[in-house]
Amino acid sequence: MTFLCVGLSHKQAPIAVREQLAVRGEDVGERVRQIKALPGVSEALLVSTCNRLEIFAVAESRAAGEDVLESLGAVAAPHAVCRFDDEALRHLFRVAASLDSMVVGEAQILGQVKEAAAIAQQAGALGPELSKALARATTAAKRVRTETEIARGAVSVSSVAVQLAHKLLGSLEGRSVLLLGAGEMAQLAARELRSAGARELLVANRNPQHAEALAREVDGVPVSLAELPSLLERADVAICSTGAAQHVVTREMVARSLKARRYRAIFFVDLTLPRNVEPSANELENVYVYDLDDLERMAAQNRDLRAAHVGKAEDIVENELKSYLSAVRERRSVPVLARLRAHAEALARAEAEKTLASLHGLDEKQQKTVRAMAAAIVNKLLHGPTSRLRAEAGQGPLGDAAAALFGLDAEQPQQAQVQEPAATVAPRPETKGEGSVLPLLRNG
Amino acid sequence: MAPILVHIALIAYAAGAAAFLTWLVRPRPVLARAGRVLLLVGVIVHFGAFAASLGVAGAGLGVSAWKGGQLFSLLAAVTVAGYLVLDFKYELPVAGAFVAPFTVAVMVPAHLVQSGSRAIAPEITHSLALFVHVGAAALGTAVLALAFGLSILYLFSEKQVKSKRPGRLFARLPSLDLLDRASYRLAVWGFVFLSLAIATGSLVSQEATGSTFPIAPKQGFAVLAWALFAALIQARLVAGWRGRRVAVLVVAGFVLLIGTYVGLLTAAPVLQGTIA
Repeated sequence: MTFLCVGLSHKQAPIAVREQLAVRGEDVGERVRQIKALPGVSEALLVSTCNRLEIFAVAESRAAGEDVLESLGAVAAPHAVCRFDDEALRHLFRVAASLDSMVVGEAQILGQVKEAAAIAQQAGALGPELSKALARATTAAKRVRTETEIARGAVSVSSVAVQLAHKLLGSLEGRSVLLLGAGEMAQLAARELRSAGARELLVANRNPQHAEALAREVDGVPVSLAELPSLLERADVAICSTGAAQHVVTREMVARSLKARRYRAIFFVDLTLPRNVEPSANELENVYVYDLDDLERMAAQNRDLRAAHVGKAEDIVENELKSYLSAVRERRSVPVLARLRAHAEALARAEAEKTLASLHGLDEKQQKTVRAMAAAIVNKLLHGPTSRLRAEAGQGPLGDAAAALFGLDAEQPQQAQVQEPAATVAPRPETKGEGSVLPLLRNG
Repeated sequence: MAPILVHIALIAYAAGAAAFLTWLVRPRPVLARAGRVLLLVGVIVHFGAFAASLGVAGAGLGVSAWKGGQLFSLLAAVTVAGYLVLDFKYELPVAGAFVAPFTVAVMVPAHLVQSGSRAIAPEITHSLALFVHVGAAALGTAVLALAFGLSILYLFSEKQVKSKRPGRLFARLPSLDLLDRASYRLAVWGFVFLSLAIATGSLVSQEATGSTFPIAPKQGFAVLAWALFAALIQARLVAGWRGRRVAVLVVAGFVLLIGTYVGLLTAAPVLQGTIA
């Protein structure tokens, strides 16, 4: 059995390629069903986001990787990477933990992986191996989020502004946001504040038509820029991005509004150059003015902080992966032991019965002694191999060697009444505790 | 008080402090939870110790001697209980990182260092006013200590926001709005208890010395602190004061209140007998 991953991300393919390959949410179920129907593939999962298209699958052999790659189409082939076994699992763990993301530590990817798993489950493509791997990858991702600072702090200007608004005002429920001007970044920040619970979004512009159009677009209320002094008494957050050459909001204007505001805090987010808000307004009590440089510097600090924790996050992922692989190998090693013991015990029983049949006149106690002797020989003979196979935990060559030496093929357990399903005891010719990455480059 | 119970409480507080301080460095939710549970265990055992001591005293109010450390011990227990209520409402593990070590710092000298008993004037050993006075003073001080802690956090956090260079602790701090609202509410409650403590204190003084309001540093500081908190509440209600200036006033008010305790410890023997 092989665990494989075929796909590409922002690291291998430009956006022009990724947008051609992107799978729409409603089509993922069908695609994953098609992948599972490929020869040798027993389980499949498709993760499709703006930054990646990855297929994780469980297959009989690595050869299935070629078919999975072909299913992605000619556009993907020059960029796609195939990973097998440990490397494929490592990639799954890193993707879920957001260590492979464009913005390391972003929170969405774990949800996207879980959603992909739910779709695969519904499509009947998720089996026990993938489910177990996903569960462990999720555990690793959660540990990374809680035990490191990798997900802490906003890393874009608009999200830093929203985070600061939370830091100053707490919940944004019922707060009033004033949008001055129509800059794109300002609109983005205003939308984020609105979705965070802001009660009203007041849109002011020099041009009333522009204000009305923008208000419709962001679900706000158009207001006149001439009302600015009274608007400053009302707003809790003011996002400024007008094209004015001088300060639109002066220190004096803000100072005058404070008493009427009853000293409620106000947060100015100044996203343009030249700046719209007089910087010295920040010196006023309960007034906080952040310009583009301030926000960008904080975003950069957070990015650095995240980068500083990547090593620790990688260690957590590696530990979880190691522990998972060890559990898998131990699980896989048990059938060899069980089959070996069942095989030997069956032989001993058969030989003992044959011997007893030829020896007449033995009483019940004597017959019991013969059977016990046969069982004792089996136990003594298998004691050493059993200990060594257990110690190896499926990570060395002894499991396969024992199976080959004693002729323990997949059908034997059923003959010997061993409970292990045949599918789980198939030899793994290509796995020797090492994974590999194989970039498959194809022309069209 | 049962020394073994107090020592158990102290150990729980110390372990809680360790959990919260570790949380500051490694913000794992399990550490904050452990800190809360340990403080809860500590405060239950601690109040158990007080209950046991009242049982030993028999008549409850009939206390004829008061060890210097007991008042501080009571303060520590009430502060922790107040913090747990505050944390339940606002979820403030960062405040726990200050309250728990503060509690340990108050408890260690109160219980591990021997302190002599102070005799209480015989006229007031069964005084209900004395009982209410001590209770209100302890509650008021504990609540104002919490308000003081939150105000310090506010000033620290606000400075970071103003300077636009947040430090490592910034991410663990609650919003300025929450700190402002919580410290103001605590200041209001503290003011109520302080008013009650001053009113009952003058009754106790009347019973013990015949003077309703003796002129002494302790009483002077208490009245100054009371006046400052009254002015603060008035400014908030009438003019809407909030933020930095309110935090500074809360800090100043609490410092004046500490002056009351300094006055208590250095009071003349006759007044010592009245405890507060």
